[in-house]
Amino acid sequence: MSTEPAKLLEEEGFSYLTCIQCGTCTGSCPSGRHTSLNTRRIVLSARRNRDVYHDKDLWMCTTCYQCQERCPRGIRIVDGILTLRAESVHMGLMLPDHRKVAGLMIDKGHAVPINDDGRAKRKELGMDELPETVHKHPQALDQVKKLLELTGFMQLVTDEGTENS
Amino acid sequence: MRIGVYICHCGSNIAGNLDVESVREFAGSLSDVVVSKDINYACGDQGQDEIKKDIQELDLDRIVVAACSPRLHEVTFRRMAQAAGLNPYLVEMVNIREQCSWVHRDAYHYATQKAKDLVAMGVARARLLNPLTVESVPANRDVLVIGGGVTGIQAALNLADSGIKVHLVERDSTIGGWMARLNDVFPTNDCSMCVLAPKMTEAADHPNITLHTYSEIQDITGHIGNFHISVVHKPRYVDVSKCKGCIELCGSVCPIEVPVEVDGGLSLRKAIYLPMSQAVPFVAVVDPEHCVGCGLCVKACEPEAIDINQKEELVEFDVGAIIVATGYHLFDASRKPEYGYGIVKNVITSMELEQMLNASGPTQGRLVRPSNGREAKRVAFIQCVGSRDETVGNPYCSRVCCMAAIKNAGLIMNKNPENHVTVHYIDIRAGGENYEEYYIRQQEKGVEFIRGRVASVKEVDGEAVITYEDTMTGEIVDSTVDLVVLSVGLEPNTKADNIVDYLNLSRRPDRFIQVAHPKMRPVDTHTRGVFVAGCASGPKEIQVSIAQGMAASARAQGLLSSGSIQKDVMGVRLVDELCNGCRLCEEVCTYGRIKVIDGKAVVDELTCGGCGTCAAACPRGALQVRHSTDEQILAQVRAATEDIRETPLIIGFLCNWCSYAAADLAGTQGVSYSTNIRNIRVMCAGRVNPSFVLEALKGGADGVLVAGCRLGECHYISGNARAQQRMDVLKDVLAELGIDPGRVRTAWVAASEAGKFAGEVSRFVEDLEIMGAIGSELDK
Repeated sequence: MSTEPAKLLEEEGFSYLTCIQCGTCTGSCPSGRHTSLNTRRIVLSARRNRDVYHDKDLWMCTTCYQCQERCPRGIRIVDGILTLRAESVHMGLMLPDHRKVAGLMIDKGHAVPINDDGRAKRKELGMDELPETVHKHPQALDQVKKLLELTGFMQLVTDEGTENS
Repeated sequence: MRIGVYICHCGSNIAGNLDVESVREFAGSLSDVVVSKDINYACGDQGQDEIKKDIQELDLDRIVVAACSPRLHEVTFRRMAQAAGLNPYLVEMVNIREQCSWVHRDAYHYATQKAKDLVAMGVARARLLNPLTVESVPANRDVLVIGGGVTGIQAALNLADSGIKVHLVERDSTIGGWMARLNDVFPTNDCSMCVLAPKMTEAADHPNITLHTYSEIQDITGHIGNFHISVVHKPRYVDVSKCKGCIELCGSVCPIEVPVEVDGGLSLRKAIYLPMSQAVPFVAVVDPEHCVGCGLCVKACEPEAIDINQKEELVEFDVGAIIVATGYHLFDASRKPEYGYGIVKNVITSMELEQMLNASGPTQGRLVRPSNGREAKRVAFIQCVGSRDETVGNPYCSRVCCMAAIKNAGLIMNKNPENHVTVHYIDIRAGGENYEEYYIRQQEKGVEFIRGRVASVKEVDGEAVITYEDTMTGEIVDSTVDLVVLSVGLEPNTKADNIVDYLNLSRRPDRFIQVAHPKMRPVDTHTRGVFVAGCASGPKEIQVSIAQGMAASARAQGLLSSGSIQKDVMGVRLVDELCNGCRLCEEVCTYGRIKVIDGKAVVDELTCGGCGTCAAACPRGALQVRHSTDEQILAQVRAATEDIRETPLIIGFLCNWCSYAAADLAGTQGVSYSTNIRNIRVMCAGRVNPSFVLEALKGGADGVLVAGCRLGECHYISGNARAQQRMDVLKDVLAELGIDPGRVRTAWVAASEAGKFAGEVSRFVEDLEIMGAIGSELDK
């Protein structure tokens, strides 16, 4: 069983209790303009211990931090959302697309690996075609994989959890 | 008559925009004018000295100063006249700066002509000025404070500390008021009695305070400086001088038990009881409604303090000023049947919760469900019960309930952090010092604030269920709780209705006592010598009530410090032989300062504010405003229309407080408008008698503007509304005569609305140009 959202947030120091539902966060949210994400509602649901873990909108946040910057009550909204996401993943809840991205991280050492366009753009800018990452140092990929395994990331994202979303 | 006229240059402020020399020469040609001079700065020492010298050497008996606005320097020139031995009210100022040179900068010749007309009007009025003296009457320096709540106690203490004798009258058998019934108070969570009790004791012990508890005001007569008060001391059936307040002996033998009203009947008291544990005076009282007269207590009382034959006692005294601190009463929650008060067992009011949370209250501070006495853990506060609710006639916010609920919700969380407390609100109003911070702290404790007014409270299987829309999510929720607390609003104290009547106070639409100005005169009433403080003039928190008690005491003290009261020279005077007792004046005086007695109007000259609305209503001219008589005003009208050099010509009647001030402001801000208007200053638009308007039109003016404060903002409550009424009737009359009713216009302009005033004038001129000259419509 997962930890209740309000309790979890309080333990992590991101309490949503003092939210006054003013909507500054939602109004500031660039993602919310194009997706169903309503930050105010997420904060309210979490404060009321609703099951935000199953809420797909939790993943629509781009972590731009605009809402957190502007919150008049100084609530660490994005930090809280990241905490809630982490708990959600620990519950085995992850969107298929995010699972794919996590797979890329494991396979390529990059969530967004370079492609031909990327190479061309770098060249045009007078940079090396490949960045100083596993792309240029393929031997480091094993080390990355090792890190991912040691931190439990690999198991977390590859296990098809009992609860699927 | 020997009139001196002085035209001020005001440097280039006036002289730069009109021909001062020409105005001076014109003034000299007017009859009775024996000297006409121009002065660079009339208000300066040199200027004043020159006028003073003329008064003495040329034996002048009227002075006309054409300069800036009288609102700026009228007092200056009155003082100057007084210094020269001339009655100060024989000086007339003509406004040729703010209302002429500054607003007609590009119309030199027209501005000069307007200035000449204004001077002619001023001289015409000056001829009719009467010497006035400020009369004063001796005043009693004692003060009556009505209401022994925290506001009244504070007011009484401040006065008493300043050496003023105070009579503090309280209806209850103890002072302390509602505050004495509260548990802890926001935003500091002080125990209410801990901070109030010392003040109660101090008031009782103060050598300058006479405490009248368990007393009713029976009558108040007289007026400022000399009110006569009749107070009835109701029988307590207990001798105050003998009772020790032990209550044990008498109370234990009393066979009668009565539920205590203030805690919702959670506890019982006897028919002889102490009103509260820290009552001041600390004396028992017998409740005659429930006492059966068995006499057991009489035998039990060792000091022999109980006297069942005690009678009420009439006490009379005089005071110079009165502070009304009659407080509020709580909204009756059963008037909102959907909230189940009195039906659903676990529904209580906020005041009952205060008792329950109180360690010395009926449950010793335990939070219980009245249905079964078990601990209450899930508590819902319903806000705005009887406030912001037009269905019960209370559209206003009661202002204290948000903070009180936040405080109590926090106290409940303190008892047990596992408690679930929700506050159901429309808006949270935490607008005092440290209030928002206090609100945040209670939120941090986990109190949940849910926006949405609760629709209903029902009892389901013995449990209270509240139904509401959570307007943040749009969900409709049924929630079962252990205890529902109705945050009941504050209503005007109907038990103080007689006080309002005795003192002729006015009420706002919300039924609370109206103050003289909601912003600038927060503790003054419309009755001179009467002040109001605390919740009597609307819901307020304790800290604001205390501040108002202090403010009212300072006002009373300032008023009485000299030991005499001055009459307003602007006041109304009755010309006795003209009055036929028709009572029209009585009807229009919103203040109730005129009463027809034995067929003649009697003006309370000491409290008359001098608006002149009555004078305008009097069909026989029997009422005259001392410094604004009909003849003085008509003389100005006639002078303005005697030799018309500019058309269309408008005569403007502007009220002193707003529209005249707006016209001045137009000058200060340099907002220009048409030169066609000649203004006459009156104290109130209500002063304008329709006959003044007719006189202007008859004389050849093409239009008349009557301007006052914005409707609802009149400095004399409703003078402008009267003016509007009269002008509407007058327009109908004009239409019947074949005169275009559009020639009479009203404008309601605030003192800040310079642009609006200028626009009104310019538009009126344009419209009159289309209408044509006065009387041209009769030829059509």
